[in-house]
Amino acid sequence: MRLIKRLLDTFTKPLPGSMADSLREAAQVDAGGYDPWGLHPETAERTLRSMRWVYENYFRVQTYGIENVPSGRVMLVPNHSGQLPLDAMMVAMSMTFAAKSPRIVRGMVERWVPSLPFISTLFNRCGSVTGDPRNCVSLLEREQPILVFPEGVRGSGKTYWHRYTLQRFGTGFLRIALQTGTPIVPIGVVGAEETYPAIYNFEWLAKLLSVPYVPITPTWPLLGPLGAIPLPVKIDIHFGEPLVFEGDPDAPDEEIQGQVDQVQGAIQRLLDEGVAQRSGLTMLKLLPGGRP
Amino acid sequence: MSRTILITGVSGALARVVTELLIPNNEIIGVDVRPLPPERPFEGEFYCARYTQRKMAEIFRRHKPEVVIHLGRIRGTQVASSSYRYNQNVLGTRNLLDLSLKHSAKRVVVLSTYHVYGAHEHNHVGLSEDHPLRASQIFPQLADAVELDHAATSCLWRYRRLETVVLRPCNIVGPSLNNMISRLLRARAVPRLLGYDPMMQMLHERDAARAICLAVDSERWGIYNVAGEGAVPWSKAIKHAGARPAPIPHFMAYPLVGSLSALNLLFPKHLMDYFRYATVISDKAFRNDFGYSPQYDIVDTLRSVGASAAWHA
Repeated sequence: MRLIKRLLDTFTKPLPGSMADSLREAAQVDAGGYDPWGLHPETAERTLRSMRWVYENYFRVQTYGIENVPSGRVMLVPNHSGQLPLDAMMVAMSMTFAAKSPRIVRGMVERWVPSLPFISTLFNRCGSVTGDPRNCVSLLEREQPILVFPEGVRGSGKTYWHRYTLQRFGTGFLRIALQTGTPIVPIGVVGAEETYPAIYNFEWLAKLLSVPYVPITPTWPLLGPLGAIPLPVKIDIHFGEPLVFEGDPDAPDEEIQGQVDQVQGAIQRLLDEGVAQRSGLTMLKLLPGGRP
Repeated sequence: MSRTILITGVSGALARVVTELLIPNNEIIGVDVRPLPPERPFEGEFYCARYTQRKMAEIFRRHKPEVVIHLGRIRGTQVASSSYRYNQNVLGTRNLLDLSLKHSAKRVVVLSTYHVYGAHEHNHVGLSEDHPLRASQIFPQLADAVELDHAATSCLWRYRRLETVVLRPCNIVGPSLNNMISRLLRARAVPRLLGYDPMMQMLHERDAARAICLAVDSERWGIYNVAGEGAVPWSKAIKHAGARPAPIPHFMAYPLVGSLSALNLLFPKHLMDYFRYATVISDKAFRNDFGYSPQYDIVDTLRSVGASAAWHA
């Protein structure tokens, strides 16, 4: 651990003082330097530093409308794609590198993540928490920015043929937004859908292995570990205007669904516009399927 | 106003700290299944008795305690025999509660544990008192602790004439305590699971004792979590205590601890999951209702435990 820290400190540029201060201030840690969920701003900073090259040079992330994200409690709701949560990482990093007052985003992760060694600990230190509604409500009450993917694995596990098409949204996030009076910022992430263009998903194998999906891409598993390197697609993140809803958080699903559809519609619009404004023609655009 | 207070578990260090705080204004009767340790004389009147024995009834008849503080839960780390633990913890607690009712005690404070919630990957942070007690489903070895808690809570709801307070504290540690977690923190090298580093809350023995006294002196009743200030990952807790973490891969740790615990060494295997998944409780209700606020933060607490290690001297 100490060696990793030293290597990172040697080979990566520290975050500017104001950025680091802002991150720490917004994190609200206790006497021991952690928050109750395990967020450790110093570890989060190191991780951000180490991934900065990937953010700026590999995926060349560009943000649009990030000023739409209000201060205080907020729910960031993007489309989900790309097999691995690279989109979550890029949105979280944009909130540090592109936002006016940088904040550590609290990502809601799948319930089985805490059982993974190393990854679960790193995720916790960087601000992620188990996707339990009670965690979400408590964090919003602490005025933290929440990152939630209502599509869940339905979105991240979809094949390339369904790119830029939103999958079914759950309703839980909207009930929490109603309960806590939290504005929802719809986000369209363009590009992450192409980082791992899954051709096929072995559903039966996934079931057998108790994992959410087992995709094959043009390079994986064909090229082994090398095939697990994501394609260097340019990623654009479009932040929409915040949506504020009012109503009974315990209303039946069909009432909530109307509001969920509004969020889904806003994200789909951001995606459609984002894809249309993308310059250049990538090889992947030539493949059939998807909305555009 | 002087009251007669019966405290169980007085051979243990926590009950001693509680006794110290209460003895100036109260008459203290101490009971324990273990004899008193010779190095620590007890200032009140002491009886060595099992909580299930008839002798307990005689103690109640003779002293008519107004307040009963039950700190005498027998831990799996102390006694391996599950039937003995079941007898003392479940039947013994029931006996104490029945006697308290029969002899018109006014108040009972029962010290349960946060272990009753169970260490589980799905636990959210800030478990409140109404969270299901999952421990008996995950670890049948903890059934006695869960049933002790149930015995106290069912008494709380059934008999309003006996004001019952059930406290579920997080890990209580301190320089004078000899429980599993304090002993671990006093070692030179402390095992941790490689790849897992759950958040842990620690309650200083003095804060725990003060919380118990608050529960004794108040007129409120109910079930309350009690935690210290802040939480840190287990590896950091070890470092704050001045020790060195010794990471062990979990696939090796489980069989290793299993075989050691069969020989009555280290700690029971079922407690391993508390070093793997976080069980972070919320004591908001106790703070609101009893005006409790811990005096030691987590770093001070851990340092005080580490400083009491023999190898530091």
